[in-house]
Amino acid sequence: MQPAISFRNFSFRYKSQSEPILKNIYLDISPGEKIWIAGPSGSGKSTLAHCINGLIPFSYGGEVSGNLYIGGLEVSEQGIFERSRSVGTILQNPDAQFVGQTVGEDTAFQMENEQVAQSVMKARVVTALDLVGMLAYEEQGPHDLSGGQKQSVSLAGVLSTRADILLFDEPLANLDPASGVRAMQLIEDIHRREGKTVIIIEHRVEDVLAQPIDRIVVMSEGEIAAIGTPEELLREGVLARHGLRQPLYLNALEYAGVPISGLKSLATPEGVVTLAGDGNLPEGSEYLGETEIRSRLEAWAERVEPATGRLSGAPLLELKDISFAYGRGRTDVVRNVSFSISEGERLALLGSNGAGKSTLSGLITGILKPKSGTITIRGEDLSRWSIRQRGEEIGYVMQNPNHMITQHMIRDEIALGLTARGVLSPERERRIDEVLHTCGLYPYRNWPVSGLSFGQKKRLTIASILALEPKLMILDEPTAGQDYRHYTEFMDFIDGLAGRGMAFLFITHDMHLALEYADRAVVMAEGEIIAADTVPRILSDSEVTGRARLRETSLSRFAKAWGLSSPSGFVQAFIEAEKKVKEADE
Amino acid sequence: MSKAGNLFVEGDSLFHRMDGAVKLILLLTWTVSTFLFLDLRIFAVMLSAGIGMLLLSRIPFRRMALLFWVLMVFTLINSIFILIITPRFGSTLTGSNTPLIPVGYDTINAETLFYVLTLSAKYLTLLPVTMLFIFTTHPSRFAASLNKLGVHYKMAYAVSIAFRYIPDLTQEFKNILNAMQMRGMGISRGDGNLWRRMKNLSLVVVPLLQSSLQHIESVSNAMDLRGFGTGSKRTWYMGMPMSRSDKWMLLLCVLLLVAAILLKGFWAEKFWYPF
Repeated sequence: MQPAISFRNFSFRYKSQSEPILKNIYLDISPGEKIWIAGPSGSGKSTLAHCINGLIPFSYGGEVSGNLYIGGLEVSEQGIFERSRSVGTILQNPDAQFVGQTVGEDTAFQMENEQVAQSVMKARVVTALDLVGMLAYEEQGPHDLSGGQKQSVSLAGVLSTRADILLFDEPLANLDPASGVRAMQLIEDIHRREGKTVIIIEHRVEDVLAQPIDRIVVMSEGEIAAIGTPEELLREGVLARHGLRQPLYLNALEYAGVPISGLKSLATPEGVVTLAGDGNLPEGSEYLGETEIRSRLEAWAERVEPATGRLSGAPLLELKDISFAYGRGRTDVVRNVSFSISEGERLALLGSNGAGKSTLSGLITGILKPKSGTITIRGEDLSRWSIRQRGEEIGYVMQNPNHMITQHMIRDEIALGLTARGVLSPERERRIDEVLHTCGLYPYRNWPVSGLSFGQKKRLTIASILALEPKLMILDEPTAGQDYRHYTEFMDFIDGLAGRGMAFLFITHDMHLALEYADRAVVMAEGEIIAADTVPRILSDSEVTGRARLRETSLSRFAKAWGLSSPSGFVQAFIEAEKKVKEADE
Repeated sequence: MSKAGNLFVEGDSLFHRMDGAVKLILLLTWTVSTFLFLDLRIFAVMLSAGIGMLLLSRIPFRRMALLFWVLMVFTLINSIFILIITPRFGSTLTGSNTPLIPVGYDTINAETLFYVLTLSAKYLTLLPVTMLFIFTTHPSRFAASLNKLGVHYKMAYAVSIAFRYIPDLTQEFKNILNAMQMRGMGISRGDGNLWRRMKNLSLVVVPLLQSSLQHIESVSNAMDLRGFGTGSKRTWYMGMPMSRSDKWMLLLCVLLLVAAILLKGFWAEKFWYPF
């Protein structure tokens, strides 16, 4: 059969770069196949996607060598319009790609451009919206929809055009865990029912593996490092070798002394079973039986001492019975919220999009005024403090560093806040040097900001806040869109700062982040706090995670599937074991 | 303003159903006709007609209140300035002078007072039809009907897409500004002198530009990938064929314009002053 997509000795170099970013790619994708392209940032996986959907070379110029065939046709003879008829792309940012004023109009966008008659369009929009379960929203605008719903509408738009290949470019990056699971389910449904070729680029490993995948293509430094079924690659530990995070329960098995080679169906936590007792096995092969595996897991979970927890100091920030509504007579979006953060504590504020997390951070920083309740810092009431005054005690770091940086030079950026607060030389220069060292930016101190990578820019925004010496730092989705290596680097750096006594509030829906870097978590759902506890306990509680549209961690789901006595103990054991590994590395 | 940030108010009146471009033509005709005159009688008639149409559209006053008060305040300030700066301006139009209110350095005369009244009525005359256009026109349908009038679809769509992303950018602007304030670059009173505060505000430009450019890149990629701009024409999902009432309205617009020009040419004086 003719492959749907075929790369033949394909290379690509961006105009502005001297080295090619894709090198000698050979890849055949069959019609109806479901492929996951994985790899760390800079490995070339997005570039590969751009080559498939035509953004390269139509929007991003560069030098192509070798061949790319789509549906048997050499693509260099096609325009982007023909390409859009065979490849439908769903992009990462559900907001930016929603170009219509209503759901119906956005779905019809490509058909409008193909000059499909209005009556035909209306009929096809209905069919496509029905397929993705969004028909009831036909007249709604984008501002009434959640990120996941917008994503579904984009999918409907692509389906309405009957493209055979669906390309998903990091579809989960902006979705909360529950929406992510649903999105993957929807993609699988469409894949099965419509028989489309599906290509997914994503770095949320466990979410992608939750649904069946035919083959994983692992990219590394512009080349294909490995291709295989999830089972093959997981068993060989290929993902971990290429800077990707393998499912946590596989690591846990390893720590507990259960070799993965004796197990099968590794892709989901509920699926894992032993190979022992399989009649087709060659004589003499020795695999651990189910009982033996279970007792090893139990023994391991019990042996690991739960950490005493970081000694937290006096209470720093306290919220008491905070309620808030946008305007009089509207329903409260934050209801009777109380919690506190102690000095040096790392607290994760968890919840899905729209649970009230950002409203709450607005209330703390003073952008919004509470309807009732008090916020105090070291016992002092904040209600009369301006945003700027609060800024002296509380630092706020936005998700995207580009939204914070205003200066051309690195030193100037850090100096800006200091000057505004009346800190003068030589104290100012001393503090700048100090934070440059702390944040690992000292070697770049004389660079322009534009020379920094995304992660370095993120550090720069932290540095510019750190220089102001606040007692508490609020980080909004600190790791969104970063791959595993950058994520770990960044969070370890934050962890180091926490060790010096600064308190942190992470606003996030990233459960791994909460699990590994927070002392405690507060969970919000529909404006209320529904749980406040240690993270392993929260993320093992399926009732809490279900209500908050979070997801129970794969560790706890694995533990439950194997009938272990204490799923949260298992999760705790994993965290302690990871810490030991990290310490051993240092 | 609605959550979406655009001003469109959902409804099913005659004017909601009317073609967006026809409404634009009505607005233009109305404006031209108004500016031809300085005659309180004509404004009274047009204002009543305008208010009548606005009532027909059944837009809740709550939604219009802001625009209404802004224009009222503007008109009031404008009137006061005219009265204070040129208290006898009316005389240059009528040739007569009837002193009325002494203001020390000069005396406001009756002619000027009447002129100010006429001028305010002129601005108010424009208000109902402008509101009608703003509040009953769906941006997408407007783009579609502009295209029908012969405006190239890329231009027409630019209008629609601006409406789509303005709320997003406003939100972004607010977020950036807040983060700046937290760092000590305040913009409210008590955060330093005016110069300082203006300078702080100007700092927002760089990150806002950055984020806009990023936004534009992803939007234009999304549009490219879905074949926008490749054809010489496109169809419109939200487009509506011109109905009979649209055609009637167009005819009325033409009649109004002709009537206005005839009236101006043959009959009306420059400034109607009955006393």
